Amino acid sequence: MYDIVDALLNRTFGLGWPGWSVALIGHLFVASLLFVVAPFQMLFFTYYERRAIARMQDRVGPNRVGPEGIWQPLADGVKLFTKEDIVPDVADKWVHLIAPCVVVAPTMFMFAVLPWGPGMVPVNLSVGLLFFFAIASVTTVGLMMAGWASNNKFALLGAMRAVAQMVSYEIPAVLSLLAIVMLTGTLSVVELIAYQGGLFIASADMPGLPDLGLGWIVFTPVGLLAFLVFFVAALAEGERTPFDIPEADSEIVAGYMTEYSGMKFGLFYLAQYLLNFLLCAMAAVVFFGGWQGPGVGWLYAQAISPANPDGSGVFNVLAGVLGVFYMLAKTYGLFFVMIWVRGSFPRLRVDQLMDFGWKFLIPLTLVNVLSAALWVALTRWGPEQGITFTAGWSPLLRWGAAFVATGAVNIGAYLALGRVYATAQAGRGRVDVDELELVTTTR
Amino acid sequence: MPTVIQIVFGLISALIIGAAMMVVLARNVIHAALWLIACFFGVGALYLLLEAEFLAVVQVLIYVGAISILILFAIMLTRELEGARQLARGWRLWLGGAICALLFAGVLVPTLAGHPWNVPPPLGPAGTPEVVIGAADLGRGFVFQYLLQFQVAGVLLTVALIGAIVIAYEERGRRRRVLTLAEEHELRKRQEPATAEPPAGD
Amino acid sequence: MTMQIQRGKVVTVERGARGQRVPGAGLLASMAVVWKHWQGSFRKNDSFEKIHGTFTMEYPEERPRLPEAFRNMPILLYDEASGHELCTSCFQCQRICPPQVIHMSQAKDPVTGKALPALTEFVIEYDACMSCGLCAEICPFDAIKMDHAFELATSDHAGLTLHREQLNRPISYYEGIAPTMWAEVKDSAFKKLQGNIKRRPDVIGMAPNLAEKIAARRRELPPAEVVPAPSVSVAPPEAAKDDWSAKDVTGVWSAKDAKPGEGRESSAAAEAPPVAGAPAAPLDDKAARLAAIKAKNAAKKAAEAQGE
Repeated sequence: MYDIVDALLNRTFGLGWPGWSVALIGHLFVASLLFVVAPFQMLFFTYYERRAIARMQDRVGPNRVGPEGIWQPLADGVKLFTKEDIVPDVADKWVHLIAPCVVVAPTMFMFAVLPWGPGMVPVNLSVGLLFFFAIASVTTVGLMMAGWASNNKFALLGAMRAVAQMVSYEIPAVLSLLAIVMLTGTLSVVELIAYQGGLFIASADMPGLPDLGLGWIVFTPVGLLAFLVFFVAALAEGERTPFDIPEADSEIVAGYMTEYSGMKFGLFYLAQYLLNFLLCAMAAVVFFGGWQGPGVGWLYAQAISPANPDGSGVFNVLAGVLGVFYMLAKTYGLFFVMIWVRGSFPRLRVDQLMDFGWKFLIPLTLVNVLSAALWVALTRWGPEQGITFTAGWSPLLRWGAAFVATGAVNIGAYLALGRVYATAQAGRGRVDVDELELVTTTR
Repeated sequence: MPTVIQIVFGLISALIIGAAMMVVLARNVIHAALWLIACFFGVGALYLLLEAEFLAVVQVLIYVGAISILILFAIMLTRELEGARQLARGWRLWLGGAICALLFAGVLVPTLAGHPWNVPPPLGPAGTPEVVIGAADLGRGFVFQYLLQFQVAGVLLTVALIGAIVIAYEERGRRRRVLTLAEEHELRKRQEPATAEPPAGD
Repeated sequence: MTMQIQRGKVVTVERGARGQRVPGAGLLASMAVVWKHWQGSFRKNDSFEKIHGTFTMEYPEERPRLPEAFRNMPILLYDEASGHELCTSCFQCQRICPPQVIHMSQAKDPVTGKALPALTEFVIEYDACMSCGLCAEICPFDAIKMDHAFELATSDHAGLTLHREQLNRPISYYEGIAPTMWAEVKDSAFKKLQGNIKRRPDVIGMAPNLAEKIAARRRELPPAEVVPAPSVSVAPPEAAKDDWSAKDVTGVWSAKDAKPGEGRESSAAAEAPPVAGAPAAPLDDKAARLAAIKAKNAAKKAAEAQGE
């Protein structure tokens, strides 16, 4: 973006503006683009969700407002805009006003590190992955503010439960990504995608493979388990069923959003869908290769890039379009799975939710970290790190040994931990009769 | 320093100092906590200005994402702060303020005066531009040079976690609750083993 | 485990034995069920026996298939062939209507003043009608039936008070919406209708919208049956005609009873002027019969009075 703006301003128009202003204009332009794209994504997501979940419930979904109902989200937006904005008299006025902003703003921040195509990332941070989750954790402050400012005991309880849920499920999410970071050795999102070229095996692990962009991390045992845990944790982070206790309409009205109406509620709604979009997109990026897919790598190699200054501009565009297409296809596919899960399961109680996160997912992620270490040791380490028995092995053999070893560890851990967790949960229902006597006779 | 960076630094510092002032001056404790969060953000921005990306991100993750929540929870769960606080007034306020300002100046002024400002950034080997410390270098430091401190910090956090569980743990016996039908039945069966059960399976 | 408590039995089901399978298999099975529903929902479900397929009826393009006995708002029936309404204004539906939204007035014979089995006016307040169907159940002549119309929303409140012209429907309409129900009552309804038609003079009792039929009927009737101007007074003296005070009513009746001979004469005389011109054979016939009945009653009364 810097180059484009620079070329436009300084070479085409001959204005000799300093570098920082060019960078500023470039960033402002990208930011505006994101501010336009993000709400449209959210609108599309609300429509997509309503149609998909309707089909799962043997009905049709909104199909009246435009051809097949595509203007429905606009109608919803108009409705929210024109609703009366009610603020309770005894509410804390300023905090009540700012809370939706504190929830939406970090969600927009998260777009800064999301790559849409090859070379299309707003800010190429070297710690992009960590930035993503650091900013996601700021939304919890907004939830707390919303619950407190409403001056409503139930909103406060809802806010506390929401905060507890989001904070608890950040841990399995980040720990599962920790395993991936160990695999790839980088926190940067762009490098993470670049690692996933190849054909079912990442090119970095086996240099000779044709680059079809299919060397996704999800095809390894470590990646698969990390993906499953991350996806479940993302469901909980984004407050989707079965983890939608904070906004369970049938139970606590709207939790921390009870006292909000009109566009303020619309902002919470926007933040929730954007967060879900971003989590699906990040899952697509980390586990499914982001914009990697058959053809993109080859097109980009023909295009103009720092590595190939003689390339053709057309290929830039083509590579970009194909990359964005793959990225969005994966994201929408993952969101469909989120909708599918929503249509299949009832809600978890808040204590069941906390148990599931702390007592099942976190031990699973810790085992996965161990597996990741095993993988790195078997595929990458050599005599200088102390591993001598893999000295003469070919990359394929090393990869195979790592696959089998980590697969065994992960499957074994999943079954064992699953059984332990299941028996523990089943045992909570039964009461020991001795205890029962103790409880009833010491009244 | 280029002018732009000086301007940005000035803005961020104004945010930090302003937010910090509001923390002490705000009447409502929750507002004070929120101003503190703004202050934390400012510090994170300063880290970004210093090109310490990892540290900035971790600052936001830990301070804004976790410690602020902790502060808010602590305030909300100890809610006896309504009513006028015992504020100092009149000459007591001015005398106290003057003493604090003098003490603070006594620490700040010699530090400011005696510090060498405008030190050129460190050069890497053979005069190349400075090496930016990244997450990888921090990690290596944690695992090689500062391993003991790292482990001690980890043990401390684990102890805190266990302590929280111990404090919040309820003995099952001390809980009083309404028994479900099944539990009542079990109890009755235990206490009156001679009573014949009604025929099952009809 | 079954447990007997005061109110009945409580059966407990032990659920602990399910932890032996792969954890998470049940979750995937539920997701598979939902996937099948998603796949199947791209076709429309046309029978409630099946569980896959969309159940949505996309109104207003698709209309609901209403059962025959669906009832919403009453209508009046008329026979297209003869043009006569089935309603005889017997007041049964007005009596039985719970919210009392039916109002009607009976037609009077212009010559004799007697009630005719026909309507002059019929009003139903649709806004208060609760579609209970009691009026249709009780009608002895199958003249008022329940319609299937439910798209009645309007912003014109006064327009919800419907009159006879708006309530009239041909029998074929009702036959179309409820064929079985009409077939059950068809014969008796037609028989009663024929009987009523005989008792209705002139075009009284024909649906007002059938202008040609009314004109045709008028043409085919003997001219004497044509109803003269309604200002002609009949047996009761002119003064007492529109005055409903008790004295005058009594006067009317006492006049009839006290002077039977005179009454008969005056009625006979009164009958003469209206039939100026052509011999009104049926009307005279009826009037003669009526006069004969009156004379007989008067004679009987006189005989009783004399006999005391």
